[in-house]
Amino acid sequence: MRDLIRVYRALLRVGWELMLEYRAQALLWILSFVFPLVMMNVWLAVVDEAGPLAGWGRSDFIAYYVAAALFNYLTAAWVLWDWDEDIRTGSLSVKLLKPIDPFHYLLTNELGWKVFILVVMGPLVALAAWLSPEIDYPLTAESLLAVAASAVTGFALNLMMSTSFAMMSFWSTQTKNFYQLVFGLGQFLSGWIAPLALFPDTIRHVATLTPFRYTLSFPLEILMGRLSGSEIALGFAVTAIWLISFTIVYRVFWRLGVKRYEAVGA
Amino acid sequence: MSLHIDKLVKHYQVHHKEAGLRGSLRSLFHRRYEMVKAVDGISFDIEQGEIVGFLGPNGAGKTTTLKCLSGLLYPTAGSATVLGFTPHKREKAYLKQFTLVMGQRNQLLWDLPAMETFLVNQAIYGVPERQFRETLDELVDLLDLKPLLTKQVRKLSLGERMKCELAASLLHRPKVLFLDEPTIGLDVTAQAAIREFILAYNQRYSATVLLTSHYMADVTALADRILVIERGRLMYDGNLQALVERTAPYKLLRLVLEQPVDETELKLFGDVESIDGLKVTLRVPRHGTKDAATRALARLPVADVTVEDPPVEEIIREVFRRGEAVEYA
Repeated sequence: MRDLIRVYRALLRVGWELMLEYRAQALLWILSFVFPLVMMNVWLAVVDEAGPLAGWGRSDFIAYYVAAALFNYLTAAWVLWDWDEDIRTGSLSVKLLKPIDPFHYLLTNELGWKVFILVVMGPLVALAAWLSPEIDYPLTAESLLAVAASAVTGFALNLMMSTSFAMMSFWSTQTKNFYQLVFGLGQFLSGWIAPLALFPDTIRHVATLTPFRYTLSFPLEILMGRLSGSEIALGFAVTAIWLISFTIVYRVFWRLGVKRYEAVGA
Repeated sequence: MSLHIDKLVKHYQVHHKEAGLRGSLRSLFHRRYEMVKAVDGISFDIEQGEIVGFLGPNGAGKTTTLKCLSGLLYPTAGSATVLGFTPHKREKAYLKQFTLVMGQRNQLLWDLPAMETFLVNQAIYGVPERQFRETLDELVDLLDLKPLLTKQVRKLSLGERMKCELAASLLHRPKVLFLDEPTIGLDVTAQAAIREFILAYNQRYSATVLLTSHYMADVTALADRILVIERGRLMYDGNLQALVERTAPYKLLRLVLEQPVDETELKLFGDVESIDGLKVTLRVPRHGTKDAATRALARLPVADVTVEDPPVEEIIREVFRRGEAVEYA
């Protein structure tokens, strides 16, 4: 364990140094912050025209999408691209020769960005919430804790889900395209395109069972005080089931995949 | 014993696809596979501290063998044991004791100075601070790394990068080194530096080294013992000098003459290999070298004379040309 902490410290430091090295890229990435705000403006235009939707008025959409901008960054995982590249080009060999699991490289890489986001964007969103009369998150100490926990589990879920999909790369060169498809469906069910509250009941219920809701909508719903204690508990339970399932899928296919990799010429 | 390889076999299926869209479509329904016998039953042992050169043409199975020994490939049959470990299990204890350097792959963090990779490796291999500093100082000294440590890896020349690559691979002081083309693409000076370094590391840590190279000079400078491999089969295992004597039972007598001499007259002293103006090269039987040289000096207008072994390249080519395994020495 102590060894692993040392490895994480070293890898995180490298991650941050790389981020400073790619300043322009980091900046552009931060600027994509505006995408949810574009979504927000679309909905605001609709509300201005047609009045509140499913009980959602201007301030609800603003509060939702400002938080979505932050949480989308916090829960996103881009490891699929790294896994795919490593496996297809054979760079995985270099990592397999190291006495740590390759998973740690990818996780630390993601964590580096998360800390960066939290430091840069966290205060911005807090400031916006404080200054703007339209944004009002009814937070208690407990709900704040639940929001933080759901952001962590949301990230873990995205991480394990994309890692599981990435294992396809041992057999196929089309992993990225396939994932884009799944990801597109996910954006619909995660509350990114529209808050889930606006969907018909059937779709909302289906979304409650899919992993996607828990990668974005769930923390936002808690933050906005839309969920009861038992709904929050149920949400965490569904998250846990998906998390465990994806972890098992990943480990099983990782073993099979590495075996295949060893067989066909690393 | 450091390495024990027993009838190691590695076959793989390669799937063929004709070029173009048509080929892609056809291969979607009907895949054509071919079995490639990359390594086809080779056996050898290597003692701790030995430097062994692995020779063979492209595709002979050298890299495949090294990958099997590193645990990256699962052998089809036969067995390999390195330092008492079975490589393909990739136990941590094993991974911490060897290194595989591939001249064509790189582990250095491309956009950061090499020092960053060194620090990451220190953490990954759990190298204690004091030992890390000591080893680093030695490597910096032996490889002349000082000016390179703070430069971004992508700004280093190929030779400089290879030096850093080697250093990154050796910070945990591995006992066994698998070096696959460590000097590929380097100029003569850089090649010589890498070679000297490998020898110094081998002597300091009595590390076992198994290296492949296209440059015969690497092998002749470093390894007393060579393994010649072709199409997955071991053609020769033994002393380099012994192979030279066995395969080429002649030496080259190089003469510089003071005036031209007729070829028929030269033939009296040995087989004429080449005539280039006043420079003449003759093949003479290995055991009659001294006699032939003495006679030539006495009867020809000789300005200068040297006796050499034929180049190793030629000898290896000869081994391959004959296509049969030379008896093991």
